[in-house]
Amino acid sequence: MMLIRPIRDDDLDRLVTLASQAGVGVTTLPVNRDLLAQRIDESQRAFAKELPPEHAYYLFALEDTGIQQIVGVSAIKARVGLDEVWYNYRVSTTVNASKELGIHVQTPTLYLSNDMTNCTEICTLFLAKEYRNGHNGRMLSKSRFLFIADFAELFSTKIFAEMRGYSEEDGHSPFWENLGQRFFGFEFKKADYLTGIGNKAFIAELMPKYPIYIPFFDRHTQEIIGQVHPQTKPALAMLEREGFNYNGMVDIFDAGPLVESFVPNIRAIRESVKRHTMVSQQAAELESDLGDNPLLVSNRSFSDFRLALVNAGQVRSDSVILSEELLGKLGLESGDLVRTVPLRTPR
Amino acid sequence: MIIVRPSRFSDLPGIEKLVNESAARLSTLPADRERLGERLDLSSRSFAGDPEIAGKELFLFVLADTENKEILGTSGIECSAGNGAPFYNYRLDELIHSSQALNVYNKVDILYMTHELTGTTRLCSLSIANRYRNTEYFDLLSRSRILFMNLFSERFNTHVIVEIQGVQNSSGASPFWESLGRHFFQMDFATADYYSNVKSKTMIAELMPPQPIYVPLLSSEAQAVISQPHAEAENNCRFLYKEGFKLSRYVDIFDGGPTLEAQRADLLTSTAMHTKQAKLTDHATGLNYLVGNTRVEDFRVGISKTAEGLGDVVRLQSAAAEAIGVDEGDSIACVAL
Repeated sequence: MMLIRPIRDDDLDRLVTLASQAGVGVTTLPVNRDLLAQRIDESQRAFAKELPPEHAYYLFALEDTGIQQIVGVSAIKARVGLDEVWYNYRVSTTVNASKELGIHVQTPTLYLSNDMTNCTEICTLFLAKEYRNGHNGRMLSKSRFLFIADFAELFSTKIFAEMRGYSEEDGHSPFWENLGQRFFGFEFKKADYLTGIGNKAFIAELMPKYPIYIPFFDRHTQEIIGQVHPQTKPALAMLEREGFNYNGMVDIFDAGPLVESFVPNIRAIRESVKRHTMVSQQAAELESDLGDNPLLVSNRSFSDFRLALVNAGQVRSDSVILSEELLGKLGLESGDLVRTVPLRTPR
Repeated sequence: MIIVRPSRFSDLPGIEKLVNESAARLSTLPADRERLGERLDLSSRSFAGDPEIAGKELFLFVLADTENKEILGTSGIECSAGNGAPFYNYRLDELIHSSQALNVYNKVDILYMTHELTGTTRLCSLSIANRYRNTEYFDLLSRSRILFMNLFSERFNTHVIVEIQGVQNSSGASPFWESLGRHFFQMDFATADYYSNVKSKTMIAELMPPQPIYVPLLSSEAQAVISQPHAEAENNCRFLYKEGFKLSRYVDIFDGGPTLEAQRADLLTSTAMHTKQAKLTDHATGLNYLVGNTRVEDFRVGISKTAEGLGDVVRLQSAAAEAIGVDEGDSIACVAL
């Protein structure tokens, strides 16, 4: 059974393995054991409410309960830009016009911006290769929305995600090479790593502060601004179906797009329903084959947040039937309120 | 004799012929007849002291053969760069992008749009017939302006600049323009240059991007030509350096060509020139001097052999005196060639 829960100390070894699988581009998962241990610790303190809510970083793990190991992670950063400066480029337009000369030229221009400061970011999504099938990816990503649904007061109304930007097959980032590298003299990999270990603000402070006229780049680079990495297209499509849209901002390193939505507009939040649990013999069989469009079920607990999938057949109008085993895994008793939402929008 | 004198409207055909034969581009001396006529008119009014054009004076000089009346060259002084409107340049500056935490220290060149040179006095419109290019008449043509500025210094700014044409490739394209201006105009350099002559340079400049430009983002060809003179202008540059001009941090916003600058008083001609009384002689010996009268509208400068002593009197060849309209006892400005 696949189960979402807060990450724990004893997940560290496995997290290091996952990070080394992730490679370049998943900036928030650096291959650095100490830093990952720090991330886990930070998350545990957030779930224990030992930190002011605006400094919280919640790291969720997807566990395969059969092997009792985590196979993926996803996270929510309650606010960005509070303890370091958060930078993006805003893709804007400069118009150059003269009636007398018959000129009207629109020049796309990048402006360095701190506009995302104080917003909530969903980030650090990574799933082990052998688990990239079935419902796992969606479950890992959307579990965060059910958490936000029950604790919305801890987050900003605007939720955003930075999507991995375009890079060539060999890992080269045309955007970085045309911009960052000319100001730093080092490769994208290094910038990405430095960012992951918490030096993004340092790097950002080295970036050009004045607007950048996009036509100074070669055509290919101009075209990939705001484009996601080919492997990230499914993730982008998924977020778009949840109500997220490109907001005109891009990452300062790889020019990947930012997508954003507002809590009441996120499909998994808007359409989620609270239901009572009921234990049923019948449920176990349904749980063993989740079908096409299962439902996410969260236990609505903050510190002991758990989330699993159930078959659509387990859902009644105001209740959901669960096996004894799943009820136990969710840390619930019969009759408790859970939050449910279909994993996908019905086709 | 060949002398320098103020241009007249009747010089128009001669100047037109000269400009059309010239390889170098002179944005201050348009080939267009009507515009050229306007410039000559402006110059005549400037010499005449017309108060209506105060602050916009342009003094145009010609190098003319007094015998056959041929026009052999032109040179000019614009009193106040911008002529009452902003005068645009890029200032080449640098920023340090450094971080101790990351062990990074990089110097980044950047171009800032500036009006700093507005109101300075600008030497302009220099053209000379090819066969006189490497002769003393080039010096006569160019340095006469400095004599004039010193004689009538109250009319000019003490800060003097010269804009040098930037690099163009063999097909006439400017690498700097191709990498910068072109994106904002979507026209080639020649067209933009044409507009800046028939409309106004300020008008075009106002369409340039107002934000600073990071040099590393320009093409490598464009980066290479920033502040470099056109091959045709190298002679002139050498002359100006010798005269005391220095390369400034300012470059042309269209072609990236350099701007040279100096304080008028520091120029070689300014420090070496004297105003003395003419004593005419038929047998002058000594070195070649630039000698000019000290009148505004009838300003004339020629070349004469003379030996300048410590006294207030200087011997002047009669032929030269006649050519520059000087009689015995008149005051003259002179400086060794």
